[in-house]
Amino acid sequence: MEFVTYIQEHYLDIGQAIFEHFYLFLVSTIIALVIGVGISILVTREGKERIGRLILSITATAQAVPSLAVIALVFLLVGIGFKPAVIALLLYSLVPIIFNASSGMLSVDPKTLEAARGLGLTPKQILWKVKVPIATPVIMAGIRSAATINIGTAAIASVIGAGGLGDMIFIGLKLQKTHIILIGTILTSALALIIDGILSNVEKKVTPKGLLVKRIHEGA
Amino acid sequence: MTEIELRHLTKRFGKKVAVEDLNMNIEKGKITMLIGPSGCGKTTTLKMINRLIDTSEGDILIKNESIFDLDPVELRRSIGYVIQETGLFPHMNVFDNIAIVPRLLGWREKAIKERIEELLDLVTLNTSFMYKYPLQLSGGESQRVGLARSLAANPEILLMDEPFGAIDPINRAKLHDSFITIQEQIEKTIVFVTHDINEAIKLGDRIAILRDGDLVQYDNVHNILYHPENEFVEQLLGHDRNIKAMVLKKNHEFVMKEGFITCKKSTKRSEILARMQENNKKKAYVVDEDNKFQGIFIIEKGKKDLEPRLILLEDTITVERHNNLQETFSLMIESGEATLPVVTERNRFVGLINLHDIFNEMKNGEE
Repeated sequence: MEFVTYIQEHYLDIGQAIFEHFYLFLVSTIIALVIGVGISILVTREGKERIGRLILSITATAQAVPSLAVIALVFLLVGIGFKPAVIALLLYSLVPIIFNASSGMLSVDPKTLEAARGLGLTPKQILWKVKVPIATPVIMAGIRSAATINIGTAAIASVIGAGGLGDMIFIGLKLQKTHIILIGTILTSALALIIDGILSNVEKKVTPKGLLVKRIHEGA
Repeated sequence: MTEIELRHLTKRFGKKVAVEDLNMNIEKGKITMLIGPSGCGKTTTLKMINRLIDTSEGDILIKNESIFDLDPVELRRSIGYVIQETGLFPHMNVFDNIAIVPRLLGWREKAIKERIEELLDLVTLNTSFMYKYPLQLSGGESQRVGLARSLAANPEILLMDEPFGAIDPINRAKLHDSFITIQEQIEKTIVFVTHDINEAIKLGDRIAILRDGDLVQYDNVHNILYHPENEFVEQLLGHDRNIKAMVLKKNHEFVMKEGFITCKKSTKRSEILARMQENNKKKAYVVDEDNKFQGIFIIEKGKKDLEPRLILLEDTITVERHNNLQETFSLMIESGEATLPVVTERNRFVGLINLHDIFNEMKNGEE
């Protein structure tokens, strides 16, 4: 029962690790969200669709880069600690956010955009009243996958001094204590599940109803 | 009266000339159809009017004012715009879709709601449609909402780019009829792009025929049909011009008001039969006290020695007096009846229309 004893003896440390992990995730994801959606808006503007498509293929490829490589590179360029870890995580989660947000906004029906222009909406109004709401489900899917990936990658970022649950896993590894590794792993997965659950609720709230209704059969 | 004036309008895409030195006066309160093969510049011309496409050369005047002196966004808000497949915003319900321009113009919500009820009524949609989403509408319903949306802020001008192009023929015919009725009420200046000559003849007051960016002929529907400018126009109209021209004629111009027998359901059968035999008629038309059409009595020959009997047919085909000859003609062919009763919109009996008269009209069409 070393599992239980460990938790009893170290619950403060564990709490601290969970908090660090969550904090790391939150800061990096929010920054990635702002930058990612911002970039997507810029590259999918009217007339810039070509750049948008280029960005789309770049990000599609970039998703194949292993997270450890990004962490290693950031370590070489920025060093060690909380900040470099945030930078590494935000860089890594930018990819799915940009990919989804750009493809969501590029896939808005050109007829819808033409109608919006023809009715006299300004480019800004077209963006916020038409493009972004219609792309919301796709953007949210990107945020959710970024969040899940981020929680996992944050554990690896412990090698450059990020702290969090990754530390527990690495300590367990060093001490060859399976139960410590397990506790770190289970908590990391649980955190990912909880956050995904919350985001899935957010997604339901922010997705416009009209996009969720069932299409009726063509008739009179 | 001229509402829109196109002056030396030219559009080039790179080296390709889409529209060349186009001059046209578009009349107020009328439907002007732009028609021609694809690539003739009709859609380009339309989109230059609300500045969705920049003009290379020339000017467009609306009420004698150049549209290039106006802010494009303001201009577009003052012009209704309807496109194929509607371009309704899928994330907004019907109410919010129609409300979009009035909201941009800062109308009060109460005024918007009243306006939307009025518009739904105009396009013959029930108010329960307000809270439906575009995905829940059929093609015809979407197009009606699209039309309502374009009319929301009560613009003087309406630009329509093949609005009924994606609708199946039966529903398209229904939409055409309601469109004509709606235009009778609103009398907007409508510029309507189509590639369907039948649609152009049926809906248009004037037709502009374009080819390779040139205006080939621009005239009222009658002159286009009977005096086509050249072979190109003739080809566009097809060999069945005379049949197409029947769209221009309404049933009421051909109604025979006498030479038939009418009676009531309550009239004695023997009396009806006697009148029919006396006048050598095979049919008697049944109306009620309000002159509403109720059916037709026909004579069934008695077997051998039996007396002939009258049979009342109640589900007979009728035509409305404001419908056009073409529809009546196809109904006659469909039903195999050379003579059909004509009724008003309220089903009041006005007389008969005869295939023979339609034939004569077609023969004499070319004055």
